[in-house]
Amino acid sequence: MDIRQDRLIDELQVFMESDLERFKSLGERIIKDIRRQHKIMEASDKRQRKEYDQLQEKLLEVERLNREIEDTQKEVVFTMGAIGESRSKETGNHVKRVAEYSKILALAAGMSEREADLLKQASPMHDIGKVAIPDDILNKPGKLDESELDVMKQHTKLGYDMLKHSKRPLLKAAATVAYEHHERYDGNGYPRGLKGEEIHIYGRITAIADVFDALGSDRVYKKAWDDERIFELFKNEKGKQFDPHLVDLFFENINELLKVREEYRDLFG
Amino acid sequence: MKILMIEATKYTPMINLDPQKGVFEFKGKSYPENTFDFYSPVIDWIEKYFMSDRSAPTRVNMDIIYFNSSSSKLFFDFFDILDEARKNGYSVEVNWYYDKENESSLEAGEDFKEDFEELTFNLIEK
Repeated sequence: MDIRQDRLIDELQVFMESDLERFKSLGERIIKDIRRQHKIMEASDKRQRKEYDQLQEKLLEVERLNREIEDTQKEVVFTMGAIGESRSKETGNHVKRVAEYSKILALAAGMSEREADLLKQASPMHDIGKVAIPDDILNKPGKLDESELDVMKQHTKLGYDMLKHSKRPLLKAAATVAYEHHERYDGNGYPRGLKGEEIHIYGRITAIADVFDALGSDRVYKKAWDDERIFELFKNEKGKQFDPHLVDLFFENINELLKVREEYRDLFG
Repeated sequence: MKILMIEATKYTPMINLDPQKGVFEFKGKSYPENTFDFYSPVIDWIEKYFMSDRSAPTRVNMDIIYFNSSSSKLFFDFFDILDEARKNGYSVEVNWYYDKENESSLEAGEDFKEDFEELTFNLIEK
């Protein structure tokens, strides 16, 4: 027997040539079937509504948890940056400013908002490797001798080694930044002496952001450079220490960069 | 007649129809891509089953936790066959198992029970 609904149609056709008794029986069955269909539909509607409500609730919960994870991640990363900072001679809002400068330059370089944000969050970790540099070198007043400088330079590789095992895009970006922010465009940087675009764009951007901030801030051991002197350095180092295209973008966006510096000024710098 | 055994899949229930014991079992979820195609051999089997002489009662155990509308329609058709068998003198009993938390399963069971007044239809909380 065909169990499909069209069985009724078949029978209806038979009925056309048939008698009243058969019609009555068929009519009753059709009515019964229609009633069942109503029941099924009502039940289905009710369940659909319930399932959809539950789905919405779950979705909201997932979104909330996602935000929680992202916020936690940002906080952890930022805290790591602050730890790195506490071990370096930089003070105050240095990592915050470097983060903001990096994002401005990243957007100017044509990165998506999402990627620029990634770099913004990753760049504060550029000096994380300094946690592994001995205090006597890190805190030595005055100039470091050659061997001390060699140890100091290891903070790039040390930072990279700390972060490189992660598969998370943010920590991977941070690993790259830590590794490459002291590379120079002309190939005379460290630790690997990478040249030009061999240096990841994250590293090239953070290099500019880091130096711009370091020169423009007062330190215990030096006064902040005035802007003209800083600009002069960037002009001179265009294509040498820094990516020439990024230096152009730096000058094109200088007002925005200065605004950030003002906003995150060190109160007791 | 041979046992008809169909393993459960993600979308379809485990089905075990045992002619010797006179026990039909349905367990799991039922929302196949094509419900009628899926159940067609089952319905055929059951119709053949009731064509043979049997005096021993038939027990149908249904433990379906999730099912779509066309499965629901199909269960009505299935119970029609059982009700028809009852009218023809066979002894048939349906046990509809439901979870207390599963409102739609209980409500569907109630709908079936209501529609087949003369069929022995037991709603059993798991």
